[in-house]
Amino acid sequence: MYTIGKLAQHAEVTTDTVRYYEKEGLLTPVSKTDAGYRLYDGDSVRRLRFIRQAQQCGFSLTEIRELLALKNSDASCCRDVRSVAVEKKLQLEHKIRALQLMSRALTELVTICNDESKPLDECPILAALESSMARKMK
Amino acid sequence: MIKVEVFSSPGCGKCMQAKAVLKAIAEELGQDKVTWRDVNILEEMDYAVDLGVMSTPAMAIDGELVFSSLPSSAKLRSELDRRLG
Repeated sequence: MYTIGKLAQHAEVTTDTVRYYEKEGLLTPVSKTDAGYRLYDGDSVRRLRFIRQAQQCGFSLTEIRELLALKNSDASCCRDVRSVAVEKKLQLEHKIRALQLMSRALTELVTICNDESKPLDECPILAALESSMARKMK
Repeated sequence: MIKVEVFSSPGCGKCMQAKAVLKAIAEELGQDKVTWRDVNILEEMDYAVDLGVMSTPAMAIDGELVFSSLPSSAKLRSELDRRLG
């Protein structure tokens, strides 16, 4: 059995993270000591690593909850998990596209600023951002 | 000629059944009027993103995302009838 500190150490997270996952219903202690300290086992370590890995792949906690439910359901199969992964990849591709657009917009703004010694009230980047805000508000 | 494209991932069981029903509707109208293409989302992810596909299965008609999930038979039929005039 592991204490919360040991569990956190094994999965390279903080104890606050473990408590947060518990609050979110993702990881519950196997038992508690008489003094009320949380106790975990080997499955808890694997589950915690799973959560971390899924987060690194871009899954939200809600999606991870869904994946864990699939993982523990006899009725689900590999295909169900694959389809969640495909959907996630699709969302990430959309995000990448949006980030590329944002990056290009910033390149344009940086390009129009050709004089770094101008006073702030003549800053073309701030002016461009203000005018685009004004356009949106119209 | 109307071009129907259905985006899904290979091996999606629920898509297969629904797709077969919808494909039959498109085929009823005649291959000279409606063409049908199954798009493997994994092979054409960029194209799917271009069209704004956010989840699968989804259906585009003439290069425009029209149904973000598979439509009912009646909805597809009325959309195709409308486009055929």
